[in-house]
Amino acid sequence: MKRYVIDLDMSKCVSCGACTVACMDQNDFVVQDGRRPRRNIFDMEQLEDGKVCFHHLSLGCMHCTDAPCIVGCPSACLSKDPETGMTIYDTTNCIGCHSCAMACPYGVPAFGADGKMTKCDGCYLRIQHGMLPACVKACPFGALQLVDLDDPQQAIPAQHSLRQSSLELLKAQV
Amino acid sequence: MKYAIVGFGTAGYHALKAIRTQDPKGEIDVYTNTSMPPYNPMLTTYYAVGKLEYEGMFPFGSLESIQKEFPFELHQEEAIKVHSEEHSVETANGQKEYDRILIATGARAFAPPVKGLKPENAYLMRTVEDAQRLKERLQQGDVKNAIVVGASMVGIKVVEVLQKQGINTWLLDLAPYIFPLAAYPQVAQVIQERVEQQGVHLKFSVTIDHMEEEDGQQIAVLTDGSRIPTDIVGLCIGTRTNTQVVDEKIALGKGIIVDQHMQTNVPGIYAAGDCCEGNNLENGQTQLIGLWANANRQGTTAGNNMAGQEMVYEGNILHNITRFMEMDFIGFGDNRIEGEVLEYGTLGKGMYIRLVLKDHRIAGANILDNCSISGIVKNYMLRLFGGDTGKLPVYQRAALESAGLSSAFLDELEGKIHGCH
Repeated sequence: MKRYVIDLDMSKCVSCGACTVACMDQNDFVVQDGRRPRRNIFDMEQLEDGKVCFHHLSLGCMHCTDAPCIVGCPSACLSKDPETGMTIYDTTNCIGCHSCAMACPYGVPAFGADGKMTKCDGCYLRIQHGMLPACVKACPFGALQLVDLDDPQQAIPAQHSLRQSSLELLKAQV
Repeated sequence: MKYAIVGFGTAGYHALKAIRTQDPKGEIDVYTNTSMPPYNPMLTTYYAVGKLEYEGMFPFGSLESIQKEFPFELHQEEAIKVHSEEHSVETANGQKEYDRILIATGARAFAPPVKGLKPENAYLMRTVEDAQRLKERLQQGDVKNAIVVGASMVGIKVVEVLQKQGINTWLLDLAPYIFPLAAYPQVAQVIQERVEQQGVHLKFSVTIDHMEEEDGQQIAVLTDGSRIPTDIVGLCIGTRTNTQVVDEKIALGKGIIVDQHMQTNVPGIYAAGDCCEGNNLENGQTQLIGLWANANRQGTTAGNNMAGQEMVYEGNILHNITRFMEMDFIGFGDNRIEGEVLEYGTLGKGMYIRLVLKDHRIAGANILDNCSISGIVKNYMLRLFGGDTGKLPVYQRAALESAGLSSAFLDELEGKIHGCH
């Protein structure tokens, strides 16, 4: 099994929104449905040590290796795709209890009008067919990347990688 | 290596999965007193109300499919005793010795007897059979009035099932308010108002004293003297751990006491899931924390250690998320601890969060009407309990702000926790 994730190089993102639009297009999101897209961009201004700091982010499912949402789902709707390692779902038995939301330290799971969970599935079908996830393909700055965790050459430097900088925080999640 | 897994709920299943992954050749015996695959007690009301098919209660599929994926020997017989000195499991058919034994016997619904309550009108809600009984009774269409005793997470879900059938439903509890083990009184008050607005009758600080019959109608006589006609009584008072199987050498509190390897005080004998007391990260004491995810982590940890791997499960905090009657209630931590209160939102009008801060940590939290901030709030609480002094990273802040919390509130929270502004 490959272990892919979609990671963000935080030094390259400018919150342009191409990823979100590509994701909505790929997944047939209708804005009028009121659902939150599976990938969202953020443009933050924060006072840090007396200085104004600007942060640009694109956030979606991090496809954690030991994903707390999989452990937390009472109906076993979430699982790892055996081919890509992406965290995928089958919500046939989703009861809309929101346990996955309580488990996720990134605030990713969202719920549709039917009450069932929806989230980024890593475009695992695209990957299985040799394509990049829609958001990665659309990112004009190479900020979003499809990362193979078993590749010794990591394209995103650790200090800029959203995934790597949040590993410690993930350890606390139970 | 010879392994025994006593009890086959989700903790037993996760231990089996871990053992089989680490030790493909080991001999694994699974003892279960049901003919069913592992099921989730939390799903029973969803089946009773028709939201889930029968198969939906069994998240890991049938016994056959589990056995195919993770081969084991199935013993459909009651384990009478786990003998710690002999390292053996005793059943009616004899005794068998093992190198490693896991006790994962879970918990059962507990209800003290109610004088005069006919067994056919009394309903528990824990097992698949409980769900089937209630579902069948509701299909008969003879239930017009019902009482549920126990304003717990299970109690409210049973109330929801009854109310959806158009049954005139009462919810009682000896406690002074709803969700007494998780909610702050102010939050409970708003939940109660909403539940009442949906037509459910509530009564607190009372329970059923006894039942009487009047012109063929069952009447519940409450401890305050009031009389309520009722056709059935749901008993959702609490649970008790199934620890009858352990002998006197295994340390017991309210459950089987385990360390961070999920091992009991007897080497080679482990426990996981709702039958055991693991570490509560908030106070460092062992405590029953009956949660699906907790049982899964504990089972995986026990299984790995039993198969010779080194795995630690540091513990958990009390937490609950309950979605019922179109609202979300989330409770984290010990709601009895008092401290400085920090709130955001207006209680009862959209997203609301109430945090109780003590010793630079978040001792407890209640969230109403917003599930999407819950995972990050829990993560922050867990990190603080673990001694982490880091602030909210920017991506968590971004998600919290996008879910509706203000930047000023988060600044205030961090200021109070980390002692600076």
